[in-house]
Amino acid sequence: MDIAAPFAKTGLISAATNLWLAIPIGIIFGYALFHAGFTDSRRIAWAFYFKDVGVPVVMFSAIVTGMIGLWGLSLAGLIDISLVYMLPTYLVPMAVGGVLFGIGMVIGGYCPGTAIAAVATGKLDGVVFIGGFLIGSMVFGDFFPVWGDFYNSDYMGAFRLDQLMGIGLGSTVLLMVIIAVVGTISMIFVQDLVWGEKNTLKTSRPFMKLQGALVALAIVIGTVFAFFPTESFIDDTVETPFYIVPKADMTGTTP
Amino acid sequence: MRFGTRWPPVPAGILIGISMLLAFVVAGRGIGASGAMTRLVAWVQHGLFPVATEQSAYFGKYFADGAHPLNDYVVFLLVGLLIGAFVAAWLSGELRVEVLRGPNITTRNRLLLAMLGGILTGFAARLARGCTSGQGLVGGAELSVGAWTFLLCIFAGGWMAAWFVRKQWI
Repeated sequence: MDIAAPFAKTGLISAATNLWLAIPIGIIFGYALFHAGFTDSRRIAWAFYFKDVGVPVVMFSAIVTGMIGLWGLSLAGLIDISLVYMLPTYLVPMAVGGVLFGIGMVIGGYCPGTAIAAVATGKLDGVVFIGGFLIGSMVFGDFFPVWGDFYNSDYMGAFRLDQLMGIGLGSTVLLMVIIAVVGTISMIFVQDLVWGEKNTLKTSRPFMKLQGALVALAIVIGTVFAFFPTESFIDDTVETPFYIVPKADMTGTTP
Repeated sequence: MRFGTRWPPVPAGILIGISMLLAFVVAGRGIGASGAMTRLVAWVQHGLFPVATEQSAYFGKYFADGAHPLNDYVVFLLVGLLIGAFVAAWLSGELRVEVLRGPNITTRNRLLLAMLGGILTGFAARLARGCTSGQGLVGGAELSVGAWTFLLCIFAGGWMAAWFVRKQWI
């Protein structure tokens, strides 16, 4: 008992303090987005032509960091995972949304977070993109009755990949690390194949060594995770009140 | 070891992951960018058409019990995001008012396509209940089936459409 994190949910900090602390968290996010090169629409769009695969590599690295951190803190008993909001799955609407989103991204050159960061650095195409984004959001909201049923369809609760595959959560973490590493290497291979090694952005040798060490560290941590059963990460036998939606495999009811 | 303006992708991604992890630890939720913009739309529309917006099937929930749509976690995050990107660009001497485009497209057409892409992603982000960060990165770390489906479909959609707008970028 007495797990401190998440601070806002355990009552360690007030709701107001939590709001104010969102600003420094956002600052780190924006700072990192700029240095990732994500304020440049061309670099984002080039990912879809395999001309610069930095975008998916950054995304893989961010996901692996968040994944290892979240489940690692849970394993260490430092965060009460049942108090962390788990995103629910609405499979088909999310798949359709993803395809539309991808089309919009290659046409517009941004996604929302990167466009906001681009606006802050003076990119006018980012300003126009945000204008369009607001219009798109407004259309969705104002005509909601038209697609509301579809939006709420195919609900599966907070449904995780380890539940889908029927393997342990730790093994799933390791598998995702491996997918990230193999995905990165194969995308760099395709990049060189399509564009020729001379025409693609190269990372200098010391940086490659650093990145190699970080990737190796992620693989080691993932391997350690794979030895732990799911129950040591998350107590799946208890239905927690905070889940806004019931977990998929736990209840026979639908909302 | 100095990273310069454009960091290698792995350390840059790790810093984004750390910001997400901080949100998990402090707030018990993830980061995101699109939610704040939906709230901005709700707020502006409420200023123009208060009754219709409060009765709206989608925007109405932001005004339940007299709530202010901008008094929310995601809006504070967005303010931080703006400050963070501004400071990073400023320190790197990269603050410039400009339109980014490929060599084979005019500024006007680039802006038209930026608008079109914005409209599509705006709609799609609402349908998918989040954007690349709020749904993709956060859900990806949470091992959500929906989020990983969303991410795969983004790249599928992007690759399908890439050929048609290639003149804009390459």
